[in-house]
This record gives sequence, structure tokens and C-alpha cells, in this order.
Amino acid sequence: MQRWPVSFWRRKRREAELDEELRSHLEMAAREREERGDAAKEAERAARREFGNIELVKEATRGAWGWRWLEDLVEDARYGLRMLGKNPGFTIVAILSLALGIGATTAIFSVVYGVLVNPYPYAHSDRMVHLTVHDASGNRRFVNLNGPQLQRLRQASCIESSAAMEGWNLTTTDGDLPEDVQAVYLTSNAFVHFGVPTLLGRGLLPSDAPEGEDPENVAVLGYQFWQRHYGGDPDIVGKNIQLVHKTYKILGVVRPRFTWGDGEVYLPLKLTADPARTYFPMIRLNPGITRAAANAEFQSLVEQFAKETPSHFPEHFHVAIEGLNDHFVEDIGGTLYLLLAAVALLLLIGCGNVSILLLARGTARQHELAVRSAIGAERSRILRQLLTEALLLSFTGAGLGVALANGLVKLIVNWLPEFSFPHEAAISINLPVLFFSVGLALLTGIVFGISPALQSSRPDVAQVMQASTRKMTAGVQGRRTHGILIAGQISLTLLLLAGAGTAMQGFVRMMRVNLGYDPHYAMSVGIPVHDNSYTTWEARRTYFNQLLQKVSAMPEVVSAGISTNATPPNNGWELRFEISGKPAAEQQRARLNFVSPQYFTVLHIPLQQGRIWDEVETVRGAKVAMINQTLAHQFFPNGDAVGSEIRVSELKGEPPFRLAVAGSDGWLQVIGIVSDARNDGLRNPTKPALYVPYTIMMRVWTQILVRTRVPPLTILRDIRAQIRTVDPDQQSFRDTRDLDGWISSQPEWEQGHLVATLFAGFAVLALALAATGLYSVISYTVAQRTGEFGIRMALGARRNDVLLMVFRSAAMSVAGGVLTGVVLTITLNRVLARWIQGSSLDALVLMGVILLLVATSGLSCFIPARRASSVDPVVALRYE
Amino acid sequence: MAEKRQRYQNRIELLQGTLDLLILQTLQWGAQHGYGISVAIRNRSGELLQVDTGSLYPALHRLEKQKWIAAEWRISENKQRAKFYRLTAAGKKQLSKERSRWSQLSDAIAGVLQPEE
Repeated sequence: MQRWPVSFWRRKRREAELDEELRSHLEMAAREREERGDAAKEAERAARREFGNIELVKEATRGAWGWRWLEDLVEDARYGLRMLGKNPGFTIVAILSLALGIGATTAIFSVVYGVLVNPYPYAHSDRMVHLTVHDASGNRRFVNLNGPQLQRLRQASCIESSAAMEGWNLTTTDGDLPEDVQAVYLTSNAFVHFGVPTLLGRGLLPSDAPEGEDPENVAVLGYQFWQRHYGGDPDIVGKNIQLVHKTYKILGVVRPRFTWGDGEVYLPLKLTADPARTYFPMIRLNPGITRAAANAEFQSLVEQFAKETPSHFPEHFHVAIEGLNDHFVEDIGGTLYLLLAAVALLLLIGCGNVSILLLARGTARQHELAVRSAIGAERSRILRQLLTEALLLSFTGAGLGVALANGLVKLIVNWLPEFSFPHEAAISINLPVLFFSVGLALLTGIVFGISPALQSSRPDVAQVMQASTRKMTAGVQGRRTHGILIAGQISLTLLLLAGAGTAMQGFVRMMRVNLGYDPHYAMSVGIPVHDNSYTTWEARRTYFNQLLQKVSAMPEVVSAGISTNATPPNNGWELRFEISGKPAAEQQRARLNFVSPQYFTVLHIPLQQGRIWDEVETVRGAKVAMINQTLAHQFFPNGDAVGSEIRVSELKGEPPFRLAVAGSDGWLQVIGIVSDARNDGLRNPTKPALYVPYTIMMRVWTQILVRTRVPPLTILRDIRAQIRTVDPDQQSFRDTRDLDGWISSQPEWEQGHLVATLFAGFAVLALALAATGLYSVISYTVAQRTGEFGIRMALGARRNDVLLMVFRSAAMSVAGGVLTGVVLTITLNRVLARWIQGSSLDALVLMGVILLLVATSGLSCFIPARRASSVDPVVALRYE
Repeated sequence: MAEKRQRYQNRIELLQGTLDLLILQTLQWGAQHGYGISVAIRNRSGELLQVDTGSLYPALHRLEKQKWIAAEWRISENKQRAKFYRLTAAGKKQLSKERSRWSQLSDAIAGVLQPEE
């Protein structure tokens, strides 16, 4: 009351005046009648009768004051709060039901909003595209172009703006330890291209890379790197950073959401005329250009480029540009929408719960409402009162829900497949998300509030007033609504449970997949080679071998080998190959792995046939190869693989980046067959694989694969120290995981984990909500029928009869719900199977889910039913 | 119920907006309270127009809000405190506007109802 003193007092006075005004009217009317000769009492009564219902006149007059709705609202809210406070049990269950639903929905929506609706901070990011081509077998590939090609690309008429980048790992040389730094080199127009202002200082400018000169030694820091390496030093601009013994002046720090290329430092890039050196183009199209038009223009352009540098392009291709987010939408869009659908179901179930509670309470409140209606409250007024109470509940629920969502969002962000969403995405409870929650609260308030309000606002005054307050049972209408709500809840819960079961089954199946290698106690350590070092084949082979020897000699290491590009479970480069003496089929492809002979021992991949090459052959880069079983079965059905010859024509050197032994693109002799080990993720079947000595072709990085006696990551520091004894500037990739870690960072693993965990969580919540709903309905019915049960028992009904009666009333709704749920689940199975990849509904899961649901329902009925059956007839009857 | 129905039998429903006109017209002869207004309308209409209090008071408060009439508490002729309403300048203007509209309307209706010659 203290909060609206002015309006409150003004209103009070107005009310008093209205009172007096009407009273004076009545008095004057009465006096006139008296003067005409009526008896005093009779006159007053007649005046009153003529006047009509005073309260109604007041109500109508107040309507003319304006602002009445607001005053009503405040009054309704105050009254509603009092009513809610009177039934704390009801209020808590209702608010929790809503908070869970709204919280989960808000959390998932904030991910959807962050990842799918507004992922990028860049200017006109909807027109930014990646230049991608599809090769003959439909694989998509990013196009990299050399300097002169980029100049010509820039002239394309559909392009508004373009820039180019390349990325490399550098290392800090001004600290105690060399730290791996992800450097992104950007052409000096890139910051203008992106159109995102920096957080501190400035971005790169054209003056940082003057025409015809080497670029300035300047750097712009990534936000994360600035936080990690400099502790967010606000005075960083103008200081220096040393990378591989070169000093760069720090120009600025980018904003947190600017994470292009996951760069830790952004350095100016000077395009060279060297045709072998390629860069990644960044393109923004002109407004109004369709994808098809852009593709057509790029197709002819890229075809010209492919004539100049055929090795940079697939043999046959068609250009299909992609929006920045296309790939992510394809990866995770379905999953996110599926989860959104799941939480929407959860919310619906929660709403159902509150509806049930409100209905039950509405019946209990019929007496109160009937009295209000009898003294002249309009129906719309009562309706509004009840809706206000519903909204009070939903907004409190939403408030609590948003708090819940805040926690849940953090959890989900941790679980999101690392490379299946744009790192620019800001996933949090932000303003648009809050708007969504408020809308949701309004909507849910109306959804769950309207049907109870409609029903309770039309009490049959005469009947209610005559009956005693306690013993009314809900009419057939009320019971039917309850039944439908319960059935609806049960069916949606079944759908959610079936989805969760399917997702979990799929995930468990993936975890149990036969890998074909032993990932435990194994790790691969990636090592990038710095520019202009170890530039001859001999020097680089010696260097890699020295690193391997140092690591092998460590006491904790059981065995070690080199696996340039062969860290499972997704490894090797897919290339075309030919078999000597057989016509080369167009689509004859295999995953090519560059390894040392220890690779198979470290990973416990057994040799099936033939032999593994030896150390001597490794040192000279012998032209030998091993194949996996899949390749042997597919291409050598007669078992004549060992001794045959295979050629990979793309296996060519390109110094100083690729150092190959002479004749690397010639024939390689197949000397052995090893068992299959997963090389295309956890879900796809193993692809044909070729293993060749890593010395045949070495790139500017390598990986050392180790098997250890202790958990591998615990000796990572020691391994790094060993590496530095060979070259003090040599860092290793910061993102180093053991092989178990690589398995659990496969997108399908992370996605399966995310979906299975969240789905299971939501399903359990749904089950709890549905059980609460059922429990409330049964308890309420039992309470209403106490008298009836008492009579029945007094007349000789046994406890079991009463128990059965209670169960029978619930059984119909539950059975109906289960049936509907099964039909729903089977109908939606196709959709589920598409989105919960690699899973489809199986009968066993469905049976289990039904059993679980029926058992839970039974339990929710049993508790109140037992209470009913243990009623003492004498007590029950005296209750009247 | 039965009594109520009887009471309404002889009543003529006022057209929407007509009540405003009647109130303003009644107040032209001087300030008056709600009861007085209802009596005046009844008498001047030869007992035909019964103003329902449920319409009268909302109308009075609405007209007051629109500043066409103003209210003050005064002592009535028989020594009783009552809320008196009087016409304001804006109310006078409104009255003449409504009157001309009414006469237009009644002319138009009379024209329609006139038997053809």
C-alpha cells in the first residue's frame, strides 16, 4: 500500500465521494416518496428498489474514471498473491513445473539464437560466403587461391569486398617456455572487410602492408589470447610481442566475438606472386546477388584457375558457395531444433500440470467464486481475476526459469560439439532471449490458465450455495477435462522418453563400437615446423627422427612412432589411387596415411598378412605401402594384394612445404595387410586405407604418437621438454589430447552425448512432472470422495474395492495417454531418426519406456489410493 | 424478477449518446445533482423517459472527465449535502453541437417516416 500512496488516497477519496453521492440520491428519492405520503420504511425500500443494484452502479461508474484496468490489475494481483500464499504446496509445485519448462526452453532457445539466428558479429555477414567446390564424388572442398588468382577474383562483378588469409602456428620466444600461438595472417583490408571495431587500439590498415615492401612487424591480439597470455592488460597497445625471434608491435585487441580463424594473433599478410603459395579467400557478395548467379560467375573463373594450377583443384568440380553458417546449420541445426521441440514438450507438460492443479483448486474455490458472482461480480471480472493469478504464477515461474536457464546454458555450451558451431556465437541469456522468455510466460499463463478460468468463472450459484462447502465432487465435465489433460501429459512424456531412450541407445552403441585400435594410454603430440627451417628432405627427416628418438627414450613411454596425419579415429587424406595392371576406376579412393613402422605396434593394430617395412626402409623413404583389410577386400577380392603395386599420382613434392623423396608419385609395392581401424569417425564404416613410410613425403608439421605407462597427458610437459632439447624454439600444438580425448571430441560423439544427456534429463523431468500431475488429480479426487468411500465401506466395501475404484478412474486416462503416445512416437520416428543420427526406434526401447511410464503412473496413483482405502468409515462420515 | 420486468415495460430505451444530450440540456437551467437530473428528465418527458441510475452516474462521471460539466458539493434546498453538476463553457458548445445533430437526425427520421403523398 505504501507503494502507491498518491493513487491510493486519491482513489479512496473518490470512492467515498461516490458513496456519498449515491447515498444522497437514495435519501432524496426516499424523502420525496415520504412527502407524497408513503410510510418512511416503505419509501426507503421503494427508493432502493428503483435505484437498482448499488454495487453494480458503482462498478459501472468507476469504469468511467479510466485507469480502472490498472487498479483492477493491482488489486487482482494483490488478491492473487494472497490466494497463492494460502496454498504454498500448490504454489510451489505450479511454479516449479513452469520454471523447469520455461528454464529449459529458454536455455535451448538461447543456443538456437546464438548459433542459428545471430551467430556472427561481422558486417553484413549474411552476404559473406566461402568459396567451395564439390568434386565428382560429392565431397566439398574449400578453394585456396594464389596471389595472382586472388587479384582476379577481386574483379568478379558479384563481389562487394574480398580479403585473404592464411594461418600458421607460431611460438612465443620472449617467455620462459615457447608457447604455441595460432597466427592468422590477414590482408591489410581485412579489418575493413569484417567491419568490426577493435576493443583496444586499432586493427590492421593498408599502411601496415605497403605496396611492394615487406609488411610491418605489427600484430593485433585475439581476445582470448590477450586474456590468457597478458591477463587482460589494459595498457597492452604499443608493447611488443616476440614470435619466433621476430618482434611485433601490438596495435590493438579485437573484440571477444571476433574469432575469425580462431586466431590468437592477427598479422599482416602480403600476397606473393609465387603460384605454389595459396591463401584462403574471404568474400562478401554484392546485395541482391543470388547464390546461383554467384556460382555461375565463380565457376568459369575457377575453371580458368584450375588450368593454371591443376594440383590445387579436384579433376572435376562444380562451384557451390556456402554462407558462413551453412555448414554449421547442416551439422547441428537439426539437433538444436530437435532439442527445442523436446523442451517445448516439457513446457507443455508443465503447463498441463499447472492446468490440472488450477482446475482442482478451481473446484475447491467454487464456493468463493459463487459468492462473488452472487453479490454481483461480472463473469469477465472473475475471469480476469483467475487469469491474473495464472499470469502471476507464470511470471514467477519464468523468473526462476531464467535463473535456471543461466546455469543450463553454461552446461550446454561446454557440451556443444566443438567444431559444429561458430565460435563467434555469443550464447547467453541476452535481451532477445529475455524477450522470448517473457513472451513464453505470457503465452503459458494464458495456455494453462484459460481453461480452468473459463470453467470456474461460471459457477452454478444455486447448486453451489446449497451444497455444503466440502463434499462436492467435480462434475462429469471437470472429470473429463482432467482425464484429457492427464492423457495428454502421459502421451507427450512417452514421446520424450522414447526419444531419450533412442538417443541413449544410439550413443551407447557408438561408445561400444569396435575401433580396431587401442586408444587407452596413447596420445599424439603435434609439432609444427617453423618457416624456413629444416627445408631439405634430409634435414627434415633427420629432425623428425631425432624428435622421435628423444621421446622414445623416456622412461614413461612404452613405444612411440610417427603419425603425420594418422591420429585416429578420423585420419588420412582421401586420394585417388591406381592399381598396376588394372583399369583405373574414377572413384577408386583410399585414405593415405604417412607413418613410421612403430605406428601399428603403438596402436595395437595387428598385421594380417605380409610384413611391415623396417627402419632402414623408413630412412631411405622406400616406395612400399601397406593396406587395410577393407581395401584388400574391396580391390583385391582374389587375395593377391601383397606383391601388387599401387600408385597415388597426387603424391608430389612442393618445396619447401612438401618435401618428397624422388619418384614419390610412382608405383609403391604393397608389402602387407593390417586389420581395419576406424578412420572415418565412429559411425561410418572404415574406409580403404593406405599406409606409407612418412619419409616419402613430409609436410611442415608432424605428430609423434606415444603409448605410455601413465595417463598420457600427465607427461605432456616432459615430452615438450624433450622436444626442446632438440630445438629450443620448438613448441608443440597447444591443443593436445590423448586418443580417448580425440574420440570424445568427434562431432558425432559430442552430438550424441549432447542429445542423449539433454534428452534424458528432459525426459526424467517430464516423467516427474507427469507423475506429479497424476498424483495431484488422484489425491484431489480421493479427497473429494472421502465421504462416498466412507459410505461404501460402511456398507461393506473392502479396502481392495476402494483401491480398485481409485485405480480404475486413473487407468483409463493413463491407457489412453500411452496409446496416443505410442502412435505419436511411431509417427514421428522418421523425424527422430533423421535428427538423432544413426538411431532409430527399437521395439525393446519402446517396451521399456512404456513399462517405466506405467510403473511410475501406478506408483503416483497408489499412494493417494492407499490413503483412500485406509479411511475409517466413521471418521469419513463424521466429516460431513 | 417479475417486478423488474414490469418496471422496464414502459421505459423507452435511450439511443446511444442521447443521455449525454439530455443531461447537458437539463443542466442548462442551472446546477443540479444526479437525483434532480433524473427527476427533471422524467418529468419533462411526461414520465416516459426513466433514466437508469446505472447509466446516469457513469455518464455524469464521464462528462465530468471530458470537462463538459463540473461538479461541486453543495447543500441542497432541503439542507442536504449533494454533489451538484453545472455546465462548463466547453459543455455549452458541446450542447449546441449535439442539439443540431439531434435535430438533423430527427428531421431525417421524420422524413423517412412521413407517409408518401
